[in-house]
This record gives sequence, structure tokens and C-alpha cells, in this order.
Amino acid sequence: MKVIQINKPILNALVTIPFVLCAFITSTVQAKSTAITHATVYTLAGEGTIENATVIIDQGKITQVYSSDNTPENINTDEIIDAKGRILTPGFIGSMNSLGLVEVSAVARSRDSKDKEADITFDASLAFNPKSTLIAYTRKGGITSNIVAPQGGEDLFAGQSFVVDLSGEFNSVTDRQNAVIVHLGAETKGSRALKLQALDYKFEDAQKALAKQALANKSKDKKAKEDKEPKRDELVINALLAGEKPLIAYADRATDLLALIALKQKYGLDLVLVGASDAVLIVDEIVAANVPIILSAIDNLPSSFDSLHANLSNMAMLTKAGVKVILAPEGDSHNINRLRFDAGVAVANGVSRIDALAALTANVADVFKLNSGRIQVGKNADLVLWSADPFELSTKVDSMWINGKSISTRSRQDDLRDRYLTKSDMPKAYSK
Amino acid sequence: MNHALFKQSLMVAAVSLSLTACLSNEKQDEKVTINKNPFPSTYKILPQQDTLFTQATVLTGTGERIDNADILFVDGKIKQIGVGLNATNVEVIDAQGKWITPGIIDVHSHLGVYPSPSVESHSDGNEMSSPNTSEVWAEHSVWPQDPGFQAARAGGITTLQILPGSANLFGGRGVTLKNVPSHTMQAMKFVDAPYGLKMACGENPKRLYGSRKQMPSTRMGNVAGYRAAWAEAAEYKRAWNKYDADYAAGKNPLAPVRDLELDTLMGVLDGEVLVHNHCYKAEEMAVMIDIGKEFNYHSGTFHHGIEAYKIADKLAANGNCVAMWPDWWGFKMEAYDMVEENVAIVDSVKNSCAIVHSDSSTTIQRLNQEAGKVLYRANDNGFELKEEDAIKWITANAAKSLGIDDKTGSLQAGKNADLVLWNTNPFSVYAQAEQVFVDGAKVYDRFDEKYQAKSDFLLGQK
Repeated sequence: MKVIQINKPILNALVTIPFVLCAFITSTVQAKSTAITHATVYTLAGEGTIENATVIIDQGKITQVYSSDNTPENINTDEIIDAKGRILTPGFIGSMNSLGLVEVSAVARSRDSKDKEADITFDASLAFNPKSTLIAYTRKGGITSNIVAPQGGEDLFAGQSFVVDLSGEFNSVTDRQNAVIVHLGAETKGSRALKLQALDYKFEDAQKALAKQALANKSKDKKAKEDKEPKRDELVINALLAGEKPLIAYADRATDLLALIALKQKYGLDLVLVGASDAVLIVDEIVAANVPIILSAIDNLPSSFDSLHANLSNMAMLTKAGVKVILAPEGDSHNINRLRFDAGVAVANGVSRIDALAALTANVADVFKLNSGRIQVGKNADLVLWSADPFELSTKVDSMWINGKSISTRSRQDDLRDRYLTKSDMPKAYSK
Repeated sequence: MNHALFKQSLMVAAVSLSLTACLSNEKQDEKVTINKNPFPSTYKILPQQDTLFTQATVLTGTGERIDNADILFVDGKIKQIGVGLNATNVEVIDAQGKWITPGIIDVHSHLGVYPSPSVESHSDGNEMSSPNTSEVWAEHSVWPQDPGFQAARAGGITTLQILPGSANLFGGRGVTLKNVPSHTMQAMKFVDAPYGLKMACGENPKRLYGSRKQMPSTRMGNVAGYRAAWAEAAEYKRAWNKYDADYAAGKNPLAPVRDLELDTLMGVLDGEVLVHNHCYKAEEMAVMIDIGKEFNYHSGTFHHGIEAYKIADKLAANGNCVAMWPDWWGFKMEAYDMVEENVAIVDSVKNSCAIVHSDSSTTIQRLNQEAGKVLYRANDNGFELKEEDAIKWITANAAKSLGIDDKTGSLQAGKNADLVLWNTNPFSVYAQAEQVFVDGAKVYDRFDEKYQAKSDFLLGQK
């Protein structure tokens, strides 16, 4: 059990204790300053791993990271939590899923991740439900924030992703329309070539339009200027051309990956690959082009002719070559909390522990420009204190903080279990 | 009855039998019988080597853990387990620091019938053309070159049941295979394993056939469909029994017309084919148990029993095995009420038979970890389970569900030497199968390419 020491005057303590108790009922408490002492801190930053460290969080941010040598004698925070040597990591960051957009996959009216009409402007964050039962369950995996990716419709682009924290609060969406999603590769009807061409033409046309616009802007004809005002979808393409947001491209076969890298070079795109099971065939090109890869560590079967080289050892090969890898879950959004186990499998197959941890934290933050993913002064206080090794099956989340607030991992699943383990003469419906 | 009288009555019976035959005065046609094994196993044990493992941590599958244990297998059978065994003329493998478990068994797999790559041409797992396709056999769809078999072998899977899909009320027969590489299905077939009959409750059948504007489109339609089929099967069985009895009585009856669909259902009524029922919800499993009682067959193993924890007592009392995932949920409404302790709650009842299954070409590669998740989440919440308990969910209980527990699923003298040598505690996320044996023959070795099979499909791919 965690030890919570209250070291402020009694008045403060009286206020604090009910809040702590409330944590078990309402799952969040008010932000207050907290010191986590005697922790083994995986900073994912320059300091590496610090034993016996103290991390101070205040106003939702990490305000101090002390090693054992420079920890002050008196720590003046609202509460002190003694980690007793346990591991503290940045909160994990999920990505490329439909969290908060789908409650039950097969229930059409609980699904907001796709739409036939969706195009590059599709902003599914408007549909995000922070009260979805998936959120608390996902927290059990130490996940404190997530990149939600829409699944699009008939358009070339599937829409844009957005960022949420897993606080379950109505202000969970922290960044909207932060990257553009495109799916490439094998087609059930038609040829993969056409989409690659279409993508190229989009950028080429946009570049031409931008040039014309620049010309029009110089002219004095007001009407000409207005005519060249870009439309909403064009603005998004322009943002990609300016490298202001990443293009997240799903593709597996090496030829598609190379074609995408060529587009990156031609147009100066901020390219990120997803899946990329053939990446192991073109490691040098990927490293040279500095393209991050989002993948599932456990995807090792040749599920199509595009992914004949899927293998459990791929992630190790890529990380060793210096590719920035992000671990994303396989399948739908209900079991994102398994991500940490995927990381464990990756380690068992040759990935270093730090690379695996970075793939769930710092790398995601870097690619999606989040102020989290590291235990560093100024970063969001999204933290997880683990009972032991975060990747191990026997480990659980002991405590977690999102934006500096302590939050419970209790979910609907726990309520159901407790109901059916409660002995009663009355029907279970009376056990609440 | 005294002895003399008994003899006398036997004589009378013999006389009356021959009288009947004479009286009927009919020449008997050749007896019509149903060949129940038209696709017999051609499985042959791979080259085997009598072996002694020494100093391992052994989980027997019978609920026992033995530390520093030696295991001796000879001629493909477990001969002895104990501490400080001696044997001559055997290969000795030092297993100190390593763990040995029975070969892992997955009761629910679609390897070979929904193989990788998942191309249209290989999508052979579900004959959805009618709500009752009891006449189809999954074994006729198995593509033995599915690379998933090898991946599963690397995860310690030695035996697996391949089932048809769950779109229909009756999806057809499942088949139990040994996970050995082969280019024919028959050479993988587990000798004398009973057939399974795949049934499905709930959303899948009603959604598919409902969308085709045919029955069933509701759960009550599902149940009417099961009952109508069993009623017909009962008639069919009666007709065959009567034919057999009349023939035995010397008459020359007309044999019933063969019906492949009803053959399978009759197999269940005769106790020869075991029911494997895709069924998530508590109220539906309770109904399926009653249908079994109504038509006098056993309702068998429930698969994907997401809500089994709600009726754990009932399931154990009725002798149903339940195969479950540790944590899959939410993909359908009937999978909404998942609890991570489901398997442990089902297991906690006396005479229960809790199983962890995969239904996945991915998780079948780590069924040990799937069981591990249950073990630890349950212990986080008040259970006191140990590794020797959890291993049963993927070995002995699975073997019981498939009707092969007299042959495999536990490390006991006389059982098949199906076993896995693990680098560490198999319920660790870092656990890897180092060597896998089927009938005492090594079929996989992590460190020796000679024992790493490769599908025809992957050969020569650049």
C-alpha cells in the first residue's frame, strides 16, 4: 500500500483527507503539490534513470526532479508519497486507436470514428466521450494520454488525429487536428498506385496554388486575392507542406514506404509511418530520411502479401539502427492497456528496456509535439508509480497522476467483479 | 436368477431369435453402417529421442509444482517425474533455472481455416450459407501451410482444436490437431480425439440471418433453431436405432437415408461428438444447458464465456467447461460485461473446468501470458492462485474439454510426452519457449534452426 504523509498544518490535513478518500469514489482529486520520494525514476530525459529520486509536482506540472544527493531535507508540499524504491515512469501514451470514439464496436450508434463523408478536415475530437467506460479501463495500463486516430471514409485521407488525456474530464481534449491520416497499400478494388499518385498530385497542386496565391497577394485586385483564398481542405494540405503537422501514413510494403519517403523529400513533409512491416528491408533509407515508425510489437504474421516480413524481431532491428519507434496497440481500442505487455514482449525479443519505454512515452511526445512523455521540469505531471517492473504481467499501477492530479484506475469491470463476488441473499442487482 | 435358469433362458432366446429369422423368411441385404472415421489420421511421431530433463521447476498440470525436478520420457511417453532420477542411454538436458510445463493446448483456434495471409482464397472458416451447417467439417478447410502453426509452436502450442466460425447456429465439426508441420491435414490429426460440434449463441447468427430476412433474426429465433434441429436429430437417431435393432433381429429393414447434417448431431446425442458452444452471456448459457437436458445431450464447453462469472456455480454443477479470454471485450454488446477475473471466478468453484483460449493467431503464441494476466489480476483482487493452478487453464482443463485428457494435458507417467521447456516462469512477460516436444519428438528449438519449420508459402519470398 502506498504511504501518504500529510506534512502541512492540521487544518490543511483535514481538507486533504476527505479528498484522498474521494479518490476511491470520484476517481480524481484536486490538484495539489505532491512529492514522490525514494523513487526509481525513469526520466526518459538526459538524466537517464535516477535511483532514490524525488519528483515534485505542482499546478499540474513537474517542478523539480531531485537525485538522492540534492534532495532537500524539508520538502514543502501538500503531500509526500514514499515510493519506497518503486519505479516511477512518465504516463504511457497510446496512439492510433479510437479511444473515446467507440463504446461497443458492433453497436453502430456508439461509434463515431468513421464516416463515409469524412475527408482531410474530419475532426473526430468533437465526438470524443471522456465518460466512455474504456477510459478508466485503459488507465489500468498506466496510460495517461492518447492520440486518437479517426478511421475516415471514402476519401483519400481518413481525417485528422487529436490528443486527449485520460482524466475522464470534459476538458480532456488537449490538441485537435494535430496530424493527417492516410491509408496506403493493397486495395481490395483497384491499384495502390492510384492513391500514391493522388497524394503526389495533391501536394503538387497545392504548391502551384500557393505560388498563384503569392502572386495574387502582390496584385492590387482585391477580387483576385479573394479568389485565391485557400479552402479548408487546402489549408490542411498547406500545413502538411509547411511541415506544421505530420502526415501519418499507414503502409507496409517496402515499395510503398519508399514512395512515401520520396514524397517526404520532394515536399518536405513531416512523415510518420504506421505498420511498416517491410521497414526492415529498407532500414538505411528510413534512418537517412529520419522517419519515425508506429508499429505493433506483436504483429508477426504475414497477414497479407504486403507484410511478408512481419517478425517479432523487427522492432529490435529498427531501434538498434536508430529509428524512432512508437508502440501502438494491435486491434481495436478496448485493450490499449495491454501496450505495456507488448513492450515486454519487445524486450524479450531484443529491444532495450529504455527503447521500449521511450516507444510508449518520449517518442510519442516528440512525434506529436506533446509536453509530456518525460520526467523533466516543466513537463505535464503525467506520472505512474508501478508496483514493480512496468512491463511485467504481475505488475500493476499503484498510483497515477494526470496533469498533477491523482487518479484511480478503478473501472466498470471492478464494479462488476465486486458485485458477483459479494455474497448476498438478495439478487445481485441489489449489490452496488 | 440362478445359473441353470439363466442358461435355459439364453437357449430360449437363441431359439426365438432363429425362429424370428425363419418366420420373416427374408434374405438380409448387407448391413448399412456409417463410417465414423472416413478421414483417418496418418500422423506419425517425428524422430524422437528418449530424454531426461534435470533440475527443472515443473508444473505438472495436475495442480502440482515440483522444484528441482527431473522428467524422463521414453518412447514418446512420460516415464517418471521426480527428484534425482537416473537413466541410461538417454539424452540429458540440464534444465536448471528453467521451467517445464505440459504442452499448451488451445481449444479454440482458426489456424489453417482463416490462415495468414488472410486472402479471399483462404477464407474457409465458416460455411455461412445456412443457419445449420452441421454437415461441414473444419478439417476439410485446413491449409496446413498456414505460417500461424509454426508461430504457435514457438509459443509452446502442441495441440489445438480448429473450429468453424460462429455465424451459424450449428457451424459444423471441429477437429483436434497435433501442432506438427505437415502438408496434409490428416498427418496432423490427433488420433482418437473426438470430434467437436461448433454451435453459436447470440449476436452472430441473428445478425447474419436476420440481415438476410430469414430465421433466426432474434435470440428466440436462435433457440427455436437449435431445438428444431435436435428434434430432427432425435428422430434420425431413432430411425437408425430401429434399423440396427430390426437388422439384429434378422429382419431386412430399409436403412434410413444418410443425412450428413444429422450424422453430426446424432454423434452428439450418442456422446461421440462434443459440443463447443460460442456463447458469451450468462442467460444464454443457462438456456443452452437446458436444451442439452431437453434433448439428452451434454451442453459441453462454452467458448468466449464473457459472463461465465455470473453463473460459475451452475456451470460447474452441470459439468460444463468454459473457455475464456483474460481481457478481450467491447467488440460486441454481448462482450461488454468482461471482468479480468472471469477465469479465476469460474475456476474457484468445485468441479469446475476453466480454460483460457485464444481464438487468435496472435494470442495463441502467448497463451501462457494470457493465463498469467488472469493469475495476477485475480491475486490483485483477493484470490490466492499459484502458477500450478493457472497452468491447468491452458493444459489439463483444455484436454478435458477436448476429450483427450487421458492422453495429454498433464505431466504424468504414461501420458504423451507433450511438453515445453521455458526459459523462465511461463507467466512472465519475458517467458519464451525454448524447446517444444510432441510425443517425445522435438518439434521446436529456439536456438536451433533445424527445429524451426517454415511454411511452403514463406519459402523463397524476398
